[in-house]
Amino acid sequence: MRITWYHRKERLIVQRILHDMNPAVKLAAVTGSVLVLALFFNPWTPLFFFIGTLMIQACFSRISWKRYVFFMLPFVITAAGYLWTTVVFAAETEGPVIWSWAGFDVTAEQWSRALSLAFRVLAFSSVSLLFAFTTDPVKFALSLMQQLKLSPKLAYSMLVGYQFLPLLREEFTHIRQAQRLRGAGTETGLLHRVRNIRRVLLPMLSGAVRKAERTAFAMEARGFTGEPRTVFFEPVPLTRIDAAMGMLFAALLLLSSICGVALA
Amino acid sequence: MCEPVISLENVSFRFPDKERNTLQNLSFEVRSGERVVISGVSGSGKSSLLYLLNRLYPENCDGVLTGNIRLFGKPAAAYTPGEICKKTATVLQDPDAQFCMPTVEQELAFTLENLEIGWTEMEAIIRDSLELTGLTPFRHAVIQTLSGGMKQRVALACAIAMQPEVLVLDEPIAHLDPHSASAFIRLLDELQKTRGWTVIVVEHRLELWEGFFERELVLDRNGALQADRPFTAPSAPPFPSKQTRAFEETALNMQNVSVSINGTRILREISFTAAAGEIIVIAGPNGSGKSTLLKVLCGIVPIDTGELAEVAAGYVPQSPEYLFMTQRVADELAYSGLSTAEEIQNSARRLGLLSIWDSHPFAVSHGQKRRVATGAMIADKRQVLLMDEPAAGQDAEALLELAALVTEQAKSGMAVVIVTHDMAFAAAVADSVLLMKDGRLSRKFRPATLWHEPDVLNAYHLVSPEGAAHRAAHFA
Repeated sequence: MRITWYHRKERLIVQRILHDMNPAVKLAAVTGSVLVLALFFNPWTPLFFFIGTLMIQACFSRISWKRYVFFMLPFVITAAGYLWTTVVFAAETEGPVIWSWAGFDVTAEQWSRALSLAFRVLAFSSVSLLFAFTTDPVKFALSLMQQLKLSPKLAYSMLVGYQFLPLLREEFTHIRQAQRLRGAGTETGLLHRVRNIRRVLLPMLSGAVRKAERTAFAMEARGFTGEPRTVFFEPVPLTRIDAAMGMLFAALLLLSSICGVALA
Repeated sequence: MCEPVISLENVSFRFPDKERNTLQNLSFEVRSGERVVISGVSGSGKSSLLYLLNRLYPENCDGVLTGNIRLFGKPAAAYTPGEICKKTATVLQDPDAQFCMPTVEQELAFTLENLEIGWTEMEAIIRDSLELTGLTPFRHAVIQTLSGGMKQRVALACAIAMQPEVLVLDEPIAHLDPHSASAFIRLLDELQKTRGWTVIVVEHRLELWEGFFERELVLDRNGALQADRPFTAPSAPPFPSKQTRAFEETALNMQNVSVSINGTRILREISFTAAAGEIIVIAGPNGSGKSTLLKVLCGIVPIDTGELAEVAAGYVPQSPEYLFMTQRVADELAYSGLSTAEEIQNSARRLGLLSIWDSHPFAVSHGQKRRVATGAMIADKRQVLLMDEPAAGQDAEALLELAALVTEQAKSGMAVVIVTHDMAFAAAVADSVLLMKDGRLSRKFRPATLWHEPDVLNAYHLVSPEGAAHRAAHFA
């Protein structure tokens, strides 16, 4: 196997800002934005916020946009689905009809509500992806312990779980291969597939339980007690950048709310 | 030197769900600076004893403990959780399941944070621990992508960082190839000399340790102390001697086979043949492509170029439960429906499966799981049996059983191909040995001649099973 290395990727200072931002502050900004956005029912606020989020992502981070689009695609489809169903199956059909097509009469009220829902999906997903694409899981866990005082028991469980993912995937492949030798996995049809998954899960989970227990022992043998820690080798600091970015998110939120309400 | 660091007095230990004691009435003392090995067959309670010494037990299993354990002159029960770790460091067996952080540096930092070492001292301790274990260039490497030998070194580096007085190790070399294992033991030897640690190791395969230990505590099957004696040069399990035979019919034939997985070339132009009834051992360093070769032979990994004659080859992975498809041992053998009820009964009798006939295949012992998997392969009418690392982590008794199983299958006309690091086992069962490195396969060696070619053995990270006693003399 080839050894992989852990290092900070080469990025311009400006493009590093979102990646270097304190994950706890970033989480607070994202959650706060989602909560505030939920209060607005006009289509413009989420639209402005969505555009603003994309701009922040573009200016202050460096990510693979190909991957970003790939992850964004399902949300765009969901948004389109919301738009369609809200227009077609709306409960309210009062008010002036703005356009008609193939027997459907669409009122201004319906249209605005549909757009509002669709843009809301886009706004929520873009801000969540912003967090997911720029946050290192280890730094996130460390920050949860340091800033949000999360119990180390939970934070390290999260980290170990994260380490296990590639191992589980590898094991899944090994089991599938071994069972294919016995004639499994060649049948088609949904029912067979579901049954096959169950067969793979039993050995995989029994292996995972064993591994988890061993890891827990190893951690405890190294002095891990789950008590809050007093020192951190890698402190995750709060800096002026975090304050600035926090204000930027607040400003974006305020601006899109005011403009949205004004336009509606 | 005279104060005992560990002393046990009439210690018995029982798991809450068991009726019988796992450890029986143990009394012994370990003095500072001693090198002690705790040996015994599987299930004799060796690991449980070790966990009592580093305080993982009895709390973690609600075990019932009687008698007195004193650690560093203080009753074991008087230690608060985590307190003993400042004096006793532990290295465990499974290289894949003893780390919780992504990189080497972060793992060391995790250890130091647990012990509440001041931030200013951390950097120096981390630097020293890496230097001593030769891991400095790997400080920022992702642990999961390192080899097994390197992972065990990381575990040792963490132990060093804890600045302990006692180091306990639970079968630390069970998953390493002989060369990495020897390197690990040499490193441990040097460190013990400079640091004056007390070293306690649980181990049942002692050949590779040569003259490392001073004293051996042997536990018997019931977890009682069978012997407390000076350590003597070990020898391999008493395998029955092997007779050379002649083969005629070719069972397996592959020519110039190359395989790539995800763009990486794993196997390079491999050619080899196996005759019906022949037992072939494939050995070589970790990551050389041995497991992939087995998967190619049984057709679960496709080949890119080259030829492989169509043959029904059965495969027993290192974890035999990967193969199991049903809830009963009996159904496991009948699963393919290729054998008659009578044939299945016959092979079940031969493999000793009738006593567990109605058990769940996940609920039997590891050796029995392998027998069930072998039985399933025989019932599938496979003419070739491929086994991946069947000897890893097995005690002498299990190895003898495995050797008997393999030999019997070969006698019935199956070609058997085994991937293993265990050269004593290879010497006992193999008709021929093939060596593998960087995806290339060597020519066929006769085991008897291979052991006298130290250059070849070295190049393939192997250690001859002969002459352990001879080398032990050099060790001290």
